[in-house]
Amino acid sequence: MIRLVLTRLAGFVLTLFAASVVLFVTINVLPGSAAKSALGIHATAQAIQRFEAQHGLDRPLLVQYAEWLGRILQGDFGTSFQNGVAVGPELLKRLPVTLELATFAFIIANLIAIPLGAWAARRHQKGADRSITFLATILGAIPNFWLATLLVLVFTLTLRWLPPGGFTPFTANPMMNLKQMIMPALSLGVVSSALLIRIMRASMLEVLSTDYVRTAEAKGASSRTIVFRHSMRNAFIPYLNVAAVEFGFLFGSVVVIEDIFLLPGVGSFVLVGIINRDYPVLLAGALAITLFVLTLNLVVDLIASLLDPRQVKARNA
Amino acid sequence: MATAAGFDFRRWRLVLLGGLLVGIVLFAAIFAPWVAPYSPFDLDVAKMLQGPSAAHWLGTDELGRDVLSRAIYAARISMQVALLAVTVGLVGGTLIGMTAAYFGGLVEQALMRAMDLLFSFPAILLAVVLMASLGTSVLNAMIAIGIVFIPGFSRLARASTQAVLRQQYIEAARSIGMSDIRIIFREILPNITAPLMVEAAVAFAYAVLLESALSFLGLGAQPPDPSWGNMLSTGRGFMAQAPWLSIVPGMAMFICVLGFNLLGDGLRDVTDPHMRE
Repeated sequence: MIRLVLTRLAGFVLTLFAASVVLFVTINVLPGSAAKSALGIHATAQAIQRFEAQHGLDRPLLVQYAEWLGRILQGDFGTSFQNGVAVGPELLKRLPVTLELATFAFIIANLIAIPLGAWAARRHQKGADRSITFLATILGAIPNFWLATLLVLVFTLTLRWLPPGGFTPFTANPMMNLKQMIMPALSLGVVSSALLIRIMRASMLEVLSTDYVRTAEAKGASSRTIVFRHSMRNAFIPYLNVAAVEFGFLFGSVVVIEDIFLLPGVGSFVLVGIINRDYPVLLAGALAITLFVLTLNLVVDLIASLLDPRQVKARNA
Repeated sequence: MATAAGFDFRRWRLVLLGGLLVGIVLFAAIFAPWVAPYSPFDLDVAKMLQGPSAAHWLGTDELGRDVLSRAIYAARISMQVALLAVTVGLVGGTLIGMTAAYFGGLVEQALMRAMDLLFSFPAILLAVVLMASLGTSVLNAMIAIGIVFIPGFSRLARASTQAVLRQQYIEAARSIGMSDIRIIFREILPNITAPLMVEAAVAFAYAVLLESALSFLGLGAQPPDPSWGNMLSTGRGFMAQAPWLSIVPGMAMFICVLGFNLLGDGLRDVTDPHMRE
């Protein structure tokens, strides 16, 4: 087990390092545009040169990367080109917003997917199964930003039940926080549930066709016992792997949804970084999202191994 | 439920339904100048924000332009972006996947680790970061989305190639001294196209979604060129007075994505019956 954890950790560090190289090179490969964006399109050549020298943008990319990585490892994410604000503290302030949104959306997705997926598998090739599979196809085709727009149209403009956007911390006003978060979380969660329904159904179908489930059925075990005691745990292993990837996908999708609902999270931070070509902001935001996704995959990989000791044995053999 | 002619409708129904929806979108995209009742750029301030009517079936926008015509022309941009993006992903991913599987060893390790790395970025984030680097334009959106697709296609191409490599005819080709390039393109490629085509249909749907998301954020097609994403983005500003501006482009995206998803699912069922259940 310790060997497994160490191998996974080494892989995680290497991937994170490589991801930082990819992000840094992708964002910095075109020279000059950051200065023009920060200083305006009428900036003189001298002003651009001065800006680049001041922010170290005129040096070789490798040197810039090494310096940036050194600073990041000490917790210094630099300052915004646009307003000189320190990026690190700003990022920390925004992280809980995105985390709350993604978690809320993930809970909604699972609340829809787990019962429906399991039910479809139990009623395999019957009306309920066909209806649920069709529902998953429909949900999977809805763009989440369109669903967000429709929710605003119905619940804000027509029924006037929910505010159009904004963010109040849960600790300051729990009710207002939930009112502001429900539509963004629904937009992400409902669409994400499409894939999870299919995965849950497929995982359950596989488990339900195993010999031990058939034996339990033959011994007269109730449907409830078969589903909850014998099938769910084993069906969860493949489900968990896909669900984790989907959680990461949710964390990445917040870019659009945070923009719609004016949520001050990491996603809107990345977008501001792109629109202003504010490289320290963009890099820090993108790296934070990538770090989160990779950590999540690592944790889930380890949990899946714990749930299924065969994987550990197979690896150690 | 085979018919007298032997055509199994049940087996092909998803392909037919998906094909019908995709066909409608493709028809609108290709024949936009003939199908659209008005030019998508014709301004008429006297008719701005008018609801659906006999003259304008889906109403007019904030500049008096016909929403139906703009939605039809927007299909062109979506289809162009999706086609090129999927081509970039398909060609790039297939070449990488085949090379990795065929040569194995270090080449395979290096290529597939690089693909794993690209896969670790959330797709929309990778597309957005690439757009930041490349600059906002439709062409760059095609390239950015195409790069996002490369890892997925490469994994599939590698797995399919590995299966083909175990076949006897590959051994036979090697034994008669056929070159590596010839084996890859003449013997392997034709035998891995079926799964790649299924993946391409699903990728097409995703490309439409990604392009719309980029345009919605102002990073893809730029106004006045109509795209479903930028139409929806503009429409949100007039939601209270003109809800059709938000409903129409979203519905068009939904129909298009649903069509490609059904087509992908249907093709998978038809080409591999074991995948169905």
